[in-house]
Amino acid sequence: MHGLYNFVSGPMVWIAFILFIGGCLYRLVSLASLAKEKDTAVYAYMDFYYALRSIFHWIIPFGSENMRRQPLMTLFTFAFHICLICVPLFLFAHVVLWKESWNISWGFLSDSTADVMTLIVIASCIFFLVRRLTRPEVKFLTNRSDFIILAIVAAPFITGFWAYHQWAGYRMMLILHILSGEIMLIAIPFSRLSHAIFFPLTRGYMGSEFGAVKNAKDW
Amino acid sequence: MKKNRLALYIAIAVFVSVCGGIAFSQEDIRTVADSAFDVRQIMRPPVRFLHDGHNEKAQIGDCNVCHHAYDEKGQKTDDSSEGTECSECHKPETPENTLALTRAYHLQCKGCHAERKAGPVMCGECHVK
Ligand code: HEC
Ligand code: HEC
Ligand code: HEC
Ligand code: HEC
Repeated sequence: MHGLYNFVSGPMVWIAFILFIGGCLYRLVSLASLAKEKDTAVYAYMDFYYALRSIFHWIIPFGSENMRRQPLMTLFTFAFHICLICVPLFLFAHVVLWKESWNISWGFLSDSTADVMTLIVIASCIFFLVRRLTRPEVKFLTNRSDFIILAIVAAPFITGFWAYHQWAGYRMMLILHILSGEIMLIAIPFSRLSHAIFFPLTRGYMGSEFGAVKNAKDW
Repeated sequence: MKKNRLALYIAIAVFVSVCGGIAFSQEDIRTVADSAFDVRQIMRPPVRFLHDGHNEKAQIGDCNVCHHAYDEKGQKTDDSSEGTECSECHKPETPENTLALTRAYHLQCKGCHAERKAGPVMCGECHVK
């Protein structure tokens, strides 16, 4: 158990962060150069004001027509993303670990708040899963990779919740928790989770084209 | 009936005095309880640590492996500092923010366990619910 733990909490953390940050930079640079080569209009149309205007409407709950038409989905999507980002960054145990390794620290959530937020993430994942399985128009667009991505995202939260409560198999669960978190980090640049880094660009471009060129709203 | 009750009294008396003896005998530390951590504010369950038993099992002979001492230049000396709490030198930032002191404990305890591949290294192995 020591060997495994030392590996996932040592070298594997470095591998995960290097692939995550390096992968994100690589994806961004290759997207930028692809656009330059194939579709120069992207650069011509890009407009800071319209880009921000569109992003703004899409990051506030019910800020777009689409969201107002699907209130339940919107509710889950926002709760999910807020918790998904805040829990790993501000979880108390994670702050303790940053402090230990780098002697840096920042604010943290109380454990009970983080516990509830973790449950929100898990519940949202179940909601997304059921939706994919039952709504015909969504099912039609779903393939196996959607389920894999959902599993990659849900895994760190399920194992983390389990480990925090020190239920049976605590040691193995903590190791799986660390490992699944690392897998998720690595998956971000190399899967459709990359919408996390591409969102401002794709949304910004849509906003620019609709705003500056078509004089229309895109939300 | 009466006999039974007498036996019960004796049993309780013996139990209480044995417990008292354990609680008050100085060498028998059972949990790490640094006074800098306010028991009303701690975020994790206390850490079980049978001081003498631990050091015997782990074969740590020198007290200054943990109770270390440094000279003015920041060099470790052969002296030891037992009897001084870790928190007297590794002061917490504020009574509420004890991350720096926590860090000292973790680096020392976990550091050795990880290095020797023996003893607890995961949060829940020390902070057992
Ligand atoms: C593995 C690390 C370690 C080693 C080795 C060690 N100690 Fe300790 N000792 C501790 C910790 C941790 C405490 C608890 C501090 C607290 O609760 O504030 C402690 C507490 C004590 C206390 C009580 C201090 C108090 O204020 O109550 C004494 C006395 C003490 N140790 C003496 C010794 C002696 C003598 C040796 C060598 C034979 C020794 N220790 C070796 C870690 C160690
Ligand atoms: C007499 C003061 C004093 C006491 C008591 C003391 N330390 Fe230290 N400690 C220092 C100094 C000085 C340093 C070196 C400077 C620094 O890193 O802060 C140090 C360094 C450390 C370090 C980092 C270097 C290393 O040795 O790995 C750790 C970890 C540590 N102490 C933990 C503890 C723990 C745990 C206790 C209680 C068992 C303790 N210290 C008791 C003064 C003390
Ligand atoms: C210099 C090395 C070293 C340091 C420092 C150290 N430990 Fe250990 N510890 C060990 C070793 C080795 C074992 C495994 C003993 C065995 O089971 O053979 C161990 C085992 C344990 C165990 C398992 C139960 C037991 O008592 O055997 C606990 C709990 C523990 N350590 C707590 C602590 C805490 C808390 C600290 C810091 C105050 C600490 N240790 C500091 C070496 C160390
Ligand atoms: C090797 C044993 C060990 C491990 C593993 C360990 N701790 Fe600790 N921790 C300690 C000791 C010893 C103290 C000092 C406790 C005291 O004096 O009350 C402490 C103190 C703390 C404190 C400050 C007191 C409190 O409860 O607010 C926090 C927080 C904490 N640990 C969190 C964690 C987290 C999170 C992890 C996993 C990332 C962890 N610990 C892993 C031994 C350990």
